[in-house]
Amino acid sequence: MALVHLAALYHTALRLTRNRAEAEDVVQEAFLRAFRSFHRFNPGTNCRAWLFTIMRNVFLNRVRTQGREVLETEMGGLDHAEVTVDAHVDRNPEEQFLQTMLHGDVDRALTTLPLAFREAVMLVDIEGLTYREVAEVVGCPIGTVMSRLSRGRALLRRALGRFAREHGYVKEEE
Amino acid sequence: MNCSEVRARLHAYVDGELTVSEITDVDGHCMECRQCAALARAEREFRQLLRRQPREGAPPELRARIVRRVRREAAVAKGRRWLLLPAVAAAAAVVVMVLLPARTPPPLVADLVDKHIAYAQIERPAELASTDPREVAEWFQSRAGMRVTVPDYSPSGIHLAGARLAEAHERKAAYLLYEKGRTLLSVFMVPVSAGEAALPGRRVSYRDHNYVAYEQKGFRTVSWSDGQAVYGLVSMLDYDALLECADRLRAERARQTRL
Repeated sequence: MALVHLAALYHTALRLTRNRAEAEDVVQEAFLRAFRSFHRFNPGTNCRAWLFTIMRNVFLNRVRTQGREVLETEMGGLDHAEVTVDAHVDRNPEEQFLQTMLHGDVDRALTTLPLAFREAVMLVDIEGLTYREVAEVVGCPIGTVMSRLSRGRALLRRALGRFAREHGYVKEEE
Repeated sequence: MNCSEVRARLHAYVDGELTVSEITDVDGHCMECRQCAALARAEREFRQLLRRQPREGAPPELRARIVRRVRREAAVAKGRRWLLLPAVAAAAAVVVMVLLPARTPPPLVADLVDKHIAYAQIERPAELASTDPREVAEWFQSRAGMRVTVPDYSPSGIHLAGARLAEAHERKAAYLLYEKGRTLLSVFMVPVSAGEAALPGRRVSYRDHNYVAYEQKGFRTVSWSDGQAVYGLVSMLDYDALLECADRLRAERARQTRL
């Protein structure tokens, strides 16, 4: 059950916090909270989503108390604002740069995304959660997950394209 | 479905989140529309790139720390809320069994795992079949002039089955075989060669001592060095059992050295 999710929780925490010590603290606190509320966990329900939800809450609490990026304000605006990225228009022949990207580039590009989009992409694309699970973890409708995911991927593509040009994987004007 | 309908569903399509009839519609459209087919392909490739991202495993110390904290809480809860004990125990067990990430162990540890597998496959792995720790210790002394500590794990239900002289890294090593039910536990003691410092690898702390813990080929290993020998435990038993065994062997060894 919970045992198999430590690794997934840890590398997600690492991508959220971008700091090993902090990621460890977040995961440890999440497990302790899960342990304390274990009697409330309904065995028939999704353990993975439950643990991710707890971990996300731990992370957000820390973020709030530390006064860094605050998710609600950031997301409140973004979900309704026109984010001028069209996943399909934004794509071009330099797509081939994807083949040459280094692993570190993807992580670096991810950090440029606002948290709401970053977590949608991380949970679906890297951790393999379903839309329904992400909706449960994040506490929003599935439709919101879908739009954040699509915008998140588009922003990530754009950031990767920028890195590709910077690194010379593709030429400036192609 | 037309192009704009397909494109609106493209992410859900590559994520396998559409209904069967929607998938059939998108598939059908992509057979005829090269542009949409190319977009779907690109989207899929992008997803694969993300899926290939390395995942840094959780450090073994983190797991050990979580287990310790949960146990401490469980002990407090035991006194306070005995009614919840089954849930507490279940949760503790859940955390205890968390798997360590697969990493490459030091060559000596990998060697011990291979020995463990090899011995598990032969019919009589022990040269000396004995359940008596003293008899086994005397056998090593007379057979090879080795002073071997043979811990008694029987209070934990882990019973001594026998011993043999083994070889690890071209060195003569003592090998103790234990059984818990049908699960084998191998305990190796390999003399340290000159210039060989502490065992390399990621450390787990247990009762104020450091151990190197690795999972290799489905077996768990806990190893340490006391400057004179490298000790390695290999088994399918969980890490808590292994660390407990390691702790007892270390304590017993220290006691014998003092005598």
